[in-house]
Amino acid sequence: MGAFETGEACQEWKDEYDLPFPVVPDEDGVLFRQLTSGWVPWSILVGPDGEVFFSENEFDEVGYSAAMARLFEEGSQAPPQPVSTDVAPAPGRPSEAATIVILGGGVGGIVAARHLRKRLGSSHRVVVVDRSPDHVFASSFLWLMVGHRREEQIRRPLARLSRKGIEFLREEVEEIDLDRRVVETGAGELSFDYLVVALGAQTTPETVEGFSEMAYDLYSSDGCRQIHSALEAFEGGKVGIVVTSMPFKCPAAPYEAAFLVDSFLRGRGVRHKSEIHIYSPEHQPMPVAEAALGQAIETMLAERAIHYHPLFAFESLRPETREIVASGGRAERVDLLIAVPPHQAPDVVRSSGLLGVSGWIHVDPGTLRTQYEGVFAIGDVTAIRLPNGKSLPKAGVFAHDQAELVAKQIADEIGGRECRGRFDGKGFCWIEIGDGKAGFASGQFYNDPEPRLRIARPRRIWHWGKVAFEKWWLRHWF
Amino acid sequence: MRVLDESGKSVSAGTTLALKDLGLPVRGTDAVLIVFWKGL
Repeated sequence: MGAFETGEACQEWKDEYDLPFPVVPDEDGVLFRQLTSGWVPWSILVGPDGEVFFSENEFDEVGYSAAMARLFEEGSQAPPQPVSTDVAPAPGRPSEAATIVILGGGVGGIVAARHLRKRLGSSHRVVVVDRSPDHVFASSFLWLMVGHRREEQIRRPLARLSRKGIEFLREEVEEIDLDRRVVETGAGELSFDYLVVALGAQTTPETVEGFSEMAYDLYSSDGCRQIHSALEAFEGGKVGIVVTSMPFKCPAAPYEAAFLVDSFLRGRGVRHKSEIHIYSPEHQPMPVAEAALGQAIETMLAERAIHYHPLFAFESLRPETREIVASGGRAERVDLLIAVPPHQAPDVVRSSGLLGVSGWIHVDPGTLRTQYEGVFAIGDVTAIRLPNGKSLPKAGVFAHDQAELVAKQIADEIGGRECRGRFDGKGFCWIEIGDGKAGFASGQFYNDPEPRLRIARPRRIWHWGKVAFEKWWLRHWF
Repeated sequence: MRVLDESGKSVSAGTTLALKDLGLPVRGTDAVLIVFWKGL
């Protein structure tokens, strides 16, 4: 179905590629708006009786194949839904010496560990497993990109958690065995009574051919350092910022990157010789929120002469000609390319049995419980469907609040208390716009029928608020 | 099972979609895969 395409364009495409199936125009985008979350490509698999088996961005290999298998092997059985919040404690769950294993030392993992340690007596073990020796505060990557931070300023050793009575195991998580309730690591097996999966989203730039030759990775500290060096040496030309696929972490990041690049190049006196272009499969910036937020960002982009290309269905890179290619062959040449790489659930999660049809872990939206007893998942590794049919954005602010709630539930369950708290979907984010200013959006993402957000106009004070939050975070938790 | 258009927004797994009402050229009882694309 051609979103916002004419019948003639669809017919030409059908003829050109000799397609055996109907190619239907959705010229005004009516069905696109009604059936998708606002970006392309979007796939919907419908069973014979009209039941929707799969409705996601891309064709996530695991989730999509699982949906196909269920459709053809099991008839129209309903797909698994988030489990009830009324999960009774497992019989025999230890109340005096429990082991809680937390996978991942990012925002969610650290907050969960610290809160559990505070709530539980010393007879209980709290273990954090991460392959990296350090926590890196990813929200500051944008400042790394423009030289406002050095990497050592946003990095903290996870071994410091031991000062707080938390065990840190620096190992790769090799397997999650939910039947035996053990985690396999490079150092052997680790049994758990409770498991918190906080492994985040894995970025896979290596799956885009030509990425390392042509693009800088906006989602790694190495990539952001390289962007800084490239911007320092940039003498004018076309800067491209491309979103290769959905979903991605921190929905404002590509737009913030564009604002900061604009500010940086103006500071260097080469902005008048430069163009900045954003290419994204989204139909507007941050489509999970009300249209007003996206329109506000589009206005700010236009005011800074930053060109925005929505509904750009990225397909490939051509390093030899420095081109970004979209579906249908549209090619854009750039001199400097900053890219949002593809995201997926980490490999160990994909092979664990925890994955839902979305390609992420499905959890109860209020309790973050998976369908496995005593197993929780928080943060970017989860997929939570909102009342408006879109997904809760992948952002640290949600991982943080979810971690607090999960810690409370586990501690209450161990202590034999009833936990009535629920994650309420509240969140906020700063939107850096350069020149020492930021905008601020906050609100209730679980609001029905649409997230209810408030947007504050860009001011210097919001930027300083983000700086203060960063300083607080790195000091408070380590 | 929720019905499409309760929220008037995107369709999710587990809901029911009345293809005929959407005006799509679909006949018979086979499964259907709809892919939204842009830039044809």
